Amino acid sequence: MPSFKLFYFDGRARAEVARQILHLADIPFEDVRVSYHDWPPMKPTTPFGQLPVLEVDGEQLPTSYAIFRYLAKEFGFNGQTAFETAWVDALADQHADYFNEIKPLFFVLWGFAQGDRTTMVKEIGAPARDKYFPLLEKIAKDNGLNGHFVGESLTWVDLLIAEHVGTVHQHLPGFLSAYPNVIKTVNKINSTPRLKEWIEKREPTAF
Amino acid sequence: MPSYKLNYFDARGLGEVSRQIFILSGTPYEDNRIPRDQWPALKDKTPFGTLPVLEVDGKQIPQSLAIARYLAKEFGFYGKTPFEAAWVDALADQVKDFLAEMRPYFAVAMGMVEGDKEKLKAEVALPAIEKHFGLLEKAAKNNGNNGHFVGSSLTFVDLLIADFINSVEGLVPGFTAPYPAVSAVKTKIDNLPKIKEWIEKRPKTVT
Repeated sequence: MPSFKLFYFDGRARAEVARQILHLADIPFEDVRVSYHDWPPMKPTTPFGQLPVLEVDGEQLPTSYAIFRYLAKEFGFNGQTAFETAWVDALADQHADYFNEIKPLFFVLWGFAQGDRTTMVKEIGAPARDKYFPLLEKIAKDNGLNGHFVGESLTWVDLLIAEHVGTVHQHLPGFLSAYPNVIKTVNKINSTPRLKEWIEKREPTAF
Repeated sequence: MPSYKLNYFDARGLGEVSRQIFILSGTPYEDNRIPRDQWPALKDKTPFGTLPVLEVDGKQIPQSLAIARYLAKEFGFYGKTPFEAAWVDALADQVKDFLAEMRPYFAVAMGMVEGDKEKLKAEVALPAIEKHFGLLEKAAKNNGNNGHFVGSSLTFVDLLIADFINSVEGLVPGFTAPYPAVSAVKTKIDNLPKIKEWIEKRPKTVT
């Protein structure tokens, strides 16, 4: 078993799915939380000047989704067939496109940027949501409302979406009330025993 | 062998990498180029309202990089180890980020949207090129300047970057001059016999 060291800021955002995969697979890892003070000297030592970075036996791997895909493949959270894996990838990329659209709202909600919350929810949040969540609603239903977005076993895109929905509920209660199948699916994902335990025990963070 | 049909516009864009995987692996496929005026009627028949969509024995896979990853896995263009595959993923996602940052400039430069082309070139395009191609040059150099971004054999990220250089080159001629290791990858790809032949006979499109 290689040694795993995950570097990210003290938050969930772009690293939480990696922590969850490692915890679900019962793999020990060093969960390094980089302070804002320590980041500037660390930045040039990373491949892309960004976090998260995963070190696997000391070798660095950048970008959140590459890390999630790598760990998901290693530990069995990547779908049961090549076709399912393609759909996990497709849904994750669709999620990334959605998140890029809604990101300015979250930067304000997380305190990283200035902005008028009400205006941004109306002009940025709701349109981004209503473009993407109907797809998720349909996908959850077409997949049999079985507690997964793809196939019949937990995949990293289940974790990705569930984590995001949790963040939405933290800041915007009721924002997803028009998407009950998504909420049902996320609730089932979050009830996975080791995941439920992780969510309950983790330190709350601002993002 | 399943039947493959790639549905995309008459463009290289986000579909070309998948066409090249079929061509390099000698796999027959239907290269279905949808005229722009036929697209509105077909949009709702796609999973996410977007192209490209790959059909594998009639089953649809959306999202350009999900398709590329699926085909790269099938035909051996995804690196030789899981860690190499992870680096292919990281670089492919960097290219996506680059394209997203370039979009405002592309839209104006291609005449699709009104705007100040020279201002966007200076404020959007050139900084995006410097940031992302700086990283790509570093990756290619760290990989031994061997004509590949990852490992010692062709991966789909070599094809992806080589083709996008054509589109950027059309708008910012000579932009790869500061990036010799990146240029070496493009030269290698363009000179592969099957790719060279394809470049000569494929429909000529601006993007």
